[in-house]
Amino acid sequence: MRTRLFVGVMASVGAAALALAATGVAKVGGTKSGQVLPASSCGPLQYGGSGKPQYIVASDLPLQGSSRSQTIEMTKAILFQLKSSGWKAGKYTVGYQSCDDSTAQAGKWDPAKCSANAGNYARDQQVIAVIGTFNSGCAEIEVPVANRASLGYVSPANTYIGLTHRPALPGEPNKYYPTGKRNYARVVAADDFQGSANVLLVKQLGLKSVYILNDKEAYGFGIASAFRNVAANGSVGVKVAGFAAWDPKASSYQDIATKIKNSGAQAIFLGGLECENGGKLVKDLKAGVPNATLVAPDGFSSFKDTIKDAGSASEGMYISIAGQPYKFLSAAGKKFAADFGKSIGLAAAKVNPYSNYGATAMQVVLAAIAKSSGNRASVASHLFNASFTNTPIGNFKLNQNGDTNAGAISFYQVKNGQAPFLKLISPPASLVALAKP
Amino acid sequence: MPVRGHGRFGAAWWEALGRVGLTETRWDGWPVTVRRAVIAAAVGLLLLVVLAPLFGFDASAFIAYAVFFALYVPSWERWLGKPGQWVIPLAFLGLTITYPYYGSKLFTIPILGAFPDVHTAVVMLIFVMMAVGLNVVVGYAGLLDLGYVAFYAIGAYSCAALASQQFAGQNANGSPKRTIDFGAIGVDKSLGGIHISVWLLLVLAGVLTSLIGMLIGLPTLRLRGDYLAIVTLGFGEILPQIARNGDNLFNSGFNLTNGPQGITPVDSIGFGSWIHRNVGLPDNYLIASNGDRLFFWTAIVLVLFTIFCSLRLRDSRLGRAWIAIREDETAAAAMGIPLMRTKTLAYAIGAFFGGVAGAYFAEFTTSANPDSFSFNFSVFVLVMVILGGIGNVWGVLFGAAFLAYLDQAGLADTGAWINLHLHVKIDVPKYEFGIYGLILLVVMLFRPHGLIPEARRKLEFEQGVADEPLYDITSA
Amino acid sequence: MINEAPTGTVVALRQRRPPVNVLTLIGIALVGLLIVWLAINLEKTPYQFFSAFLIGITNGSVYGLVALGYTLVYGILELINFAHGDVFMLGGMIAITVVTSVFSLNGGDPAYVVWPALVATLVISMVGCGLINATVERIAYRPLRGAPRLVPLITAIASSFILQNVALAWKGPNFVTLNSGTSGGADFLPQSNVFSVGGIRYTWPSLIVLLITAPVLFALLWLVQRTRQGKAMRATAQDREAAAMMGIDVDRTISFTFLLAGGLAGAAGLIYAVYFTSVRFDQGFQLGLIAFTAAVLGGIGNLPGAVVGALLIGMIQSFNNTLTWHAPGSDWTQSIVFAILILILVFRPEGLLGERTPEGG
Repeated sequence: MRTRLFVGVMASVGAAALALAATGVAKVGGTKSGQVLPASSCGPLQYGGSGKPQYIVASDLPLQGSSRSQTIEMTKAILFQLKSSGWKAGKYTVGYQSCDDSTAQAGKWDPAKCSANAGNYARDQQVIAVIGTFNSGCAEIEVPVANRASLGYVSPANTYIGLTHRPALPGEPNKYYPTGKRNYARVVAADDFQGSANVLLVKQLGLKSVYILNDKEAYGFGIASAFRNVAANGSVGVKVAGFAAWDPKASSYQDIATKIKNSGAQAIFLGGLECENGGKLVKDLKAGVPNATLVAPDGFSSFKDTIKDAGSASEGMYISIAGQPYKFLSAAGKKFAADFGKSIGLAAAKVNPYSNYGATAMQVVLAAIAKSSGNRASVASHLFNASFTNTPIGNFKLNQNGDTNAGAISFYQVKNGQAPFLKLISPPASLVALAKP
Repeated sequence: MPVRGHGRFGAAWWEALGRVGLTETRWDGWPVTVRRAVIAAAVGLLLLVVLAPLFGFDASAFIAYAVFFALYVPSWERWLGKPGQWVIPLAFLGLTITYPYYGSKLFTIPILGAFPDVHTAVVMLIFVMMAVGLNVVVGYAGLLDLGYVAFYAIGAYSCAALASQQFAGQNANGSPKRTIDFGAIGVDKSLGGIHISVWLLLVLAGVLTSLIGMLIGLPTLRLRGDYLAIVTLGFGEILPQIARNGDNLFNSGFNLTNGPQGITPVDSIGFGSWIHRNVGLPDNYLIASNGDRLFFWTAIVLVLFTIFCSLRLRDSRLGRAWIAIREDETAAAAMGIPLMRTKTLAYAIGAFFGGVAGAYFAEFTTSANPDSFSFNFSVFVLVMVILGGIGNVWGVLFGAAFLAYLDQAGLADTGAWINLHLHVKIDVPKYEFGIYGLILLVVMLFRPHGLIPEARRKLEFEQGVADEPLYDITSA
Repeated sequence: MINEAPTGTVVALRQRRPPVNVLTLIGIALVGLLIVWLAINLEKTPYQFFSAFLIGITNGSVYGLVALGYTLVYGILELINFAHGDVFMLGGMIAITVVTSVFSLNGGDPAYVVWPALVATLVISMVGCGLINATVERIAYRPLRGAPRLVPLITAIASSFILQNVALAWKGPNFVTLNSGTSGGADFLPQSNVFSVGGIRYTWPSLIVLLITAPVLFALLWLVQRTRQGKAMRATAQDREAAAMMGIDVDRTISFTFLLAGGLAGAAGLIYAVYFTSVRFDQGFQLGLIAFTAAVLGGIGNLPGAVVGALLIGMIQSFNNTLTWHAPGSDWTQSIVFAILILILVFRPEGLLGERTPEGG
């Protein structure tokens, strides 16, 4: 009897609490503050106009780990470009959210995170286009998901060939576009340009044979294979002395250096990312094969990290970036570097080249939105067969595959702890066609 | 006078209560319902007085409390008889199934951040499945497995390879060499490749992983516990490297796993247009507008199946054989239990669930990539099992859900909260595995049987077992 | 030797095992194939072979120092101390920090500046790592002395992760580096050749590694064989209860062993730092596993065995990476090392030099 009374009292207390809550006497809290994409992956919505923007452009970059210094600056450049356009694209108002496809644990892009991000963008109807990704492996996961949602992507940095055109692995690039319609474009030249330009550099340096190394990651393997296929063809006159992988978890690469020394290679191509123990690799190669020239693609383009990790062994190595250096930028590009640099406190020439590419990607996206009829498919369709002028990287066209016609690759050489610009190489189409991932 | 053993803290607590008139005897004299109601009221009061002023009132919090009260306080078994024991599990199941509808409206947990969204919930469920699978190996059979990531990888890759254009081959003119379509959804015929229905593949992946698990187990399971752990660690490192080198397996030119690029995209999961039109089930999860929810509900089905199997195994002859081996191998063998076969079965079953979970994960993320597989992953699942309660399915369930939530969103939100309120700049997710290491250490030192212990295991930890292995490998 | 584990009272039941001689034959056949492969490579590319040999010896020496620590602890406690590799990495970081911040050594510093600084750094890092190791033992292993065997193993993994994150918090996720000289190794080490035959160069940094490892090994052997402490260690390893009954303070002996193992890890860390010049917080675990493989290969609990195993592993790695005739190549090196670990544990758990014991090691 007492039990039931007690329980009854308690139940009424509970019911009263419920009633109180229901009448709204208790404040309802816990609404997310204006966030559209989840806070666990994305930063806050940035919009300088009044009220809320009609559409959102998201950027999908690895904001943690070794590429951090480059990508953080890129997000600022993207925001700067949007701000300079007055937060508008044609008659639509546009806001920006910066999203992260890396995890702190991995220190680089994470496949599950990429897939989750792509799903988030696809589901959120306010997201009308995405600027991303930075790493080709991540794009291979995100693009098909976005394709099904007709969501357009513009990448400022992906170089894997098979994402947009052939020659590529079987099934590429169609397997990334399940609906059959393209939704992915990029403003950098792909591995076929960078690979063939690197082969040409080796030739121009007068070196006869090259040993190719890769880090067994998506990007590194892709560009090393592209390089190999161009060189192996024989038309350039550079011989492939060997093709091997370096294990990022190994403590020393002296043994690989010995193998390379005995192969007689005069140049070594480092197809991979610097954060995969690239610094130690450079040191050991310099010690073991002192007469060989080291050539590296844009995986080593974070000059500060490369020079710091490799120390004096990095002297003399060549590093390429798919695009123009500050010196050769058009007036619009120089102005962007100057203005943007001022806004973040850097000299124009010190602005990371990828920031220009990030800003260009935003400009492309805004142009496509302006021309579109306000839905995703329309925006995506305006990314192709289009010309863009006065961008931070100059004038260029995007063809029907979403590839840029600007195929110049700039080379930098490390001297005295700095990496000044050396020269520009634009590989001919015949050579580019030989590259295959 | 009932004498109950108490630790120092318990004894002091009862003494303090005795001073205000509530002695332990009187407490024991009250009916169960009353006692529970008092505890629930005390908890509610605590939350109201301490948390509400700090974090604000929230209607959903009140409702959650009312639900908790309604489930916890009444003694359902006494009121409803035998079916009463199903009330709480069914209520919990119901709450889980309907989660997508109310999840976004729930209150924000202090410090930890918001409740997970449906996408995170799917990942949590997949980890739950893996943890329950590992629990069979570590919890039931007592075999420490440090290479569980290998099973996850095999499951993911076998599903991905057989539901994509991986094996299309290429003819001279560029067209695919083979196209095998067996019930797959949303396949682009021009791409070729082997496309098997994903439902079948979930089972197939599980079976394949199980077979490989048995192959791995046969030579190694007769080793002593810590050696077995090292061997499984070794396999856990070798298999991902095979995945990474799989585009040119042993220089034969055969592309098994597409190497560092991984296999992407993987076919979508669904029921196809015929069933969609006639029965109404979704045809293609990836293009459905509520795709996340569909994945969520399917994951619930898989997890239910896993839990069901686990519970039945625990209560079966095999489960009792595992207990016997755990506690005294020599005596078990003397009783006629076939040691190797029993251990191998544990390993194979754990592998099966790991494989199915891996396959589902590959489906969910539409890719299988060698970067996802690392030793840290094996340890992560192990921490779930150990924290939750080694050998106890419910404990493992909560441990897995909680840690998966921490990994996906909780740590980031906690870090943001700490940085905001304590005015520091610590990147909490960076130290994720240090935190897990700390959790493991604390659990092992103070409560090795986990948060929700399994009764028998608890006794084993407290009283010890005769765990010398049976096999004598001396030469004479 | 710290390798005589207590003979158990477990009754040996005969059960079905593959007959020993078949396995031995297969083992001999595999080793034979390996020798043939090495011989062919030697004949085809002799300079590469010898270079690989020398590199393997040097790398193996570094692994050997770490493996010694593993073996010491295993011999006395039958515990695989996963945290050992991370203590070693911390030692490397301590060494680099001391060398760059306290002594500011650079290439071009004269020998009378470099060597005392290195000796001081060696002492600092050995003491530091010894203390870290002893602390880990005190916190994580001693309370669990009587627990089932798997519990301290899990705690070891936990300690490993905690130490890794300590290193991460201290130095961040990037590499901590020393500038390397033209022959490899830090630039303040002498860079000239010891000898140079044909294409093979053997430089001073590599010799310095050997010059430090060998005396350490002998000192350790002397300590274990000839001193009272060493006797106490051996006794505790053989039978803990009997040792306690004989008046040996078991807790102190075990702590001393961990201190010693930590000191070895610190020394190994310094050598790693000045020879490889690049450390990161997560490299310790991987290296620890390789060193553990080496210890198992040589016979866990057997001190010279650990070094022998380490030299073998070092050579296998460098042969695989360097030789070109039908070599699996650097893609597979990690898998080969782990495959060796698995094969040894399954087929010959007592290793090459160890003695068979009832529990299989």
